Amino acid sequence: MESGFRRRFKPLEILTEEEVDAIHRGTLDVLQETGALVYNKRALKVFEKAGCDVDFETERVNFPPDLVEECLRKSPSSFHVKARNSKHDLIIGADNVIFFNFPGRDTVDLNTWEPRAPTQKEHMELITVLDALPNVHFLNAYPYFGFSGGIPEVMKEIEGVALRMRNSTKVTVAIANHDIDMFTIRMAEAIGTEIFANPNTSSPLTCYTDQVNACFLAAEYDLPSMIWDGATSGGTAPASLAGAVVLSNAELIPYIVLLQLLKPGARLAVANLVLAQNMRNGAPAFGEIGISLHNVAFNQVWRKYGVPTVCSSCGPTSSKRIDFQSGYQKMMPAILSAISGSSVLQLYSSIYGEITAHPIQAILDDDIAGMIGRFLEGIDVSDDSLAVDLINEVGPIPGDYLGKAHTRRWWKKEQFVPKAADRLTYPEWSKAGKKSCIDYAKQRMDEILATHKVDPPLTASQEKDIERILKEAREYYRNKGLITDKEWEAYKKYLKESGRPY
Amino acid sequence: MLKGFVRNFKPLEILNEQQIEEIHTGTLYVLRETGVRFESERALKLFEKNGCQVDRNNNRVRFPEGLVEECLRRCPSRFRVKARNPNNDMIWGGNTTYFQALSGMQTVDLDTWKPRTPTRKEYYDAVTVLDALENVHVIPWYTPWFGFENIPSVMAMPEGLAARLRNSSKFTCENYSMGCEVFNIQMAQAVGAELRSSMAASPPLTFYNDAVENAFRVIEAGFVLLLTSGSVYGGTSPATIAGSLISGNAEIIAGIVLAQLIKPGTRIIAQDFSFPQNMRSGSPAFGAIEISLHQAGFNQMWRKYGIPTDGGVCYPSSKMIDYQAAYEKAIIALVGALTGTNTIWIQGALYGELAFHPVQAIIDDDVVGMIGRFLEGIDVSDETLAIDLINEVGPIPGHYLTKAHTREWWKKEQFIPKVADRLTYPEWLKTGKKSCIDYAKERMDEMLATHKVDPPLTASQEEDIERILKEAREHYRKKGLISDKEWEIYTKALRSPNYPYA
Repeated sequence: MESGFRRRFKPLEILTEEEVDAIHRGTLDVLQETGALVYNKRALKVFEKAGCDVDFETERVNFPPDLVEECLRKSPSSFHVKARNSKHDLIIGADNVIFFNFPGRDTVDLNTWEPRAPTQKEHMELITVLDALPNVHFLNAYPYFGFSGGIPEVMKEIEGVALRMRNSTKVTVAIANHDIDMFTIRMAEAIGTEIFANPNTSSPLTCYTDQVNACFLAAEYDLPSMIWDGATSGGTAPASLAGAVVLSNAELIPYIVLLQLLKPGARLAVANLVLAQNMRNGAPAFGEIGISLHNVAFNQVWRKYGVPTVCSSCGPTSSKRIDFQSGYQKMMPAILSAISGSSVLQLYSSIYGEITAHPIQAILDDDIAGMIGRFLEGIDVSDDSLAVDLINEVGPIPGDYLGKAHTRRWWKKEQFVPKAADRLTYPEWSKAGKKSCIDYAKQRMDEILATHKVDPPLTASQEKDIERILKEAREYYRNKGLITDKEWEAYKKYLKESGRPY
Repeated sequence: MLKGFVRNFKPLEILNEQQIEEIHTGTLYVLRETGVRFESERALKLFEKNGCQVDRNNNRVRFPEGLVEECLRRCPSRFRVKARNPNNDMIWGGNTTYFQALSGMQTVDLDTWKPRTPTRKEYYDAVTVLDALENVHVIPWYTPWFGFENIPSVMAMPEGLAARLRNSSKFTCENYSMGCEVFNIQMAQAVGAELRSSMAASPPLTFYNDAVENAFRVIEAGFVLLLTSGSVYGGTSPATIAGSLISGNAEIIAGIVLAQLIKPGTRIIAQDFSFPQNMRSGSPAFGAIEISLHQAGFNQMWRKYGIPTDGGVCYPSSKMIDYQAAYEKAIIALVGALTGTNTIWIQGALYGELAFHPVQAIIDDDVVGMIGRFLEGIDVSDETLAIDLINEVGPIPGHYLTKAHTREWWKKEQFIPKVADRLTYPEWLKTGKKSCIDYAKERMDEMLATHKVDPPLTASQEEDIERILKEAREHYRKKGLISDKEWEIYTKALRSPNYPYA
């Protein structure tokens, strides 16, 4: 099992114990006084039975504090997730840090920086690169949002899941929109992998039907859940960061309570995608530093709750290009979340917001992940590394360390050497064509696409199961009226011409 | 006085107490057993007089533990440094962080990234930009560049200092080369400014005469002395970070003992300016993550010693203002701030110490602003927890956009960068697809058009500066350090109609 990186020092903390407590008290108060809207009759019944105050007409649930605290306690502070290839099994929690990708609706032209829908080939290439990169531990939903060629909107992510299952053996996420997880979870079951169920909050304090249904599926199939909160501070959450932490807590907890009521001990992690509101144009202010303050505080609070956290805000930047701005807007939230206790960093492949992604970006992010992983290891302090005898032996100038066995032995252990960074001297660089990190990433991408094979590929029987479930999904959504006649025609054309399944 | 940024939470610590002790013990051992070589009769005499064991055969000084610890104690843990304008004074030490521009030998073309020597006008303009930048608190030696066109290299430091004293009233620095500190100190005294200068070890474990002479002169002038090691791990210090901490600290402490023996109570700042060895090319591995690890350990050691630290030297390996440069610089500066570096070097540098550009400085200033905002931490109070507001707003369709609380708090919580692209895709496409570099160029033009140094030198101070420069020129001419050809070019340039600004 590739377990990621282990943090070997105490996490960064920016709140006092009293402040953490004040946030917790506020969270309990909001859950008790205001509660949440839960648009799901099944869930309302479960909540009522467990002692919540439920209004079936307004669909409002108020949560008693003792139930909240009990369900937080029941959530495991660390857990395993099984992949199709056990090499990619996951450890979530316990000072372990792993990485995955942040979505981008479109791909981007690396010269004009303009977005466009990816082709199926480009979508597959992104999946292949993510499958190949050693520090991508699992795959998110929506690496791209579908691909061009005639897939109806509602089928885009379902086809996307099938594509991921065919081209990667890493665990993935089953989003719940339009209940497509009914099909994607069964696909996962058919090929012998676990998959994250994915109930997401809607801010403020609202749980929509399909998201809540995901909790029932998680219980039924005994799956781990990843719950995202994506409030915007100043828009759908208070503009003050402490208040935004309270609100994001209060939004996530109803799902946690439901999951624990349905299946005590259910595995779950909370994902923080709280952003700030850009007060000029209304979009999220991706990359704003207050977001990182929220995340670091959030980590401290959820460490007290004993629930693993995911940092999602290190994925999107406000830059449209892979440039200096996107570099600092990724590195800073990423390192801050890793050292403050995030178990998972949603770092890879995204460029602007959730609008663009690119495999080149993913390859560049792999070096950031490697650097962060090295930092988490800390400093080795031992007789051998302190090297006092060696220092004494080498002495002052003209002594040096370059020719020493100790140096040969240690430098590789101490140094992380990035794979796609320019590390040449000026003369070397000029002579070799002034290559940038993007040039090196392109080389690396070409190598990966030329050599990487999914290991193991699906068996013929598993492939049949995938197709069968896809077929059921198509019919289901056609009957529901979520695929129009026009879309259906285009889809049929695509299925005929695309040389399924690849 | 400049406030700098106060860190409102405990620093990140990656070494435990036991490890700190082991490094300290190892350091004392090296000082006592191995000793440090001083190529200075004056220094050897002073050490001998104060209880050190001096071996005249190899100029090796061995330090008793008691003297070491006494001299460390004599260093003030916090002190004021005086700029030309008292509004730019600072207090170094404790939990406050200031930021410094970071120099490079040459400027670069922002299209071809080819380095070249800057003109006198570019030099003076760049000083103006640094004087205007909000988060540049110190303009160090050789900043913005080592020198400029048409001056002999031996005059680079004095001419550079003159430019900084003329076009900026911020705290600045000088450094030694060919005894130029004599003139530098006079210039500073003529305008009522203090300087920081350095005493640099030559690793491993060696100090040469010019470093020692400079220290005597700087201390006599009552200025601040920075002690630095500058080792390269695997080259001039052990390949291990722990071993490099020991040998580097031993070098710095030896210098501190000398300084405190010259004048007890001398203001000292300990600098971490060290890098891993790039084992392919032999140059320092700029931008490497080990720099941040070393810096974190360094800060813990010197916090134990109670002496302010300097470091977080943000040199990237990248030759361009790009993604790689950003992630390399941002993590060094951020980790420095989180682990307690008191003065961090970032604004303006590109590759190694070889390139600088004012546009880079302007972009870096946003990174510094972000770090500064993070150091403020989170305000947790009834008002920011906003429980009543959260209960009032409730679930969807409630929101926070129109609330008075939002209008009051969003500005306090968010840091808005000055030259980042924060537009949505449609806005960005419509307004010419500007990047942070484009915005920084615009900002630079504004600064050069409007910024005035406050206060300008008086006529009498300007006379003094020019007189001292003249003395330096004649001194070096007489010493044969300026050739006939250089002299001809130099004196012609000095007759420029816009002298000294162009």
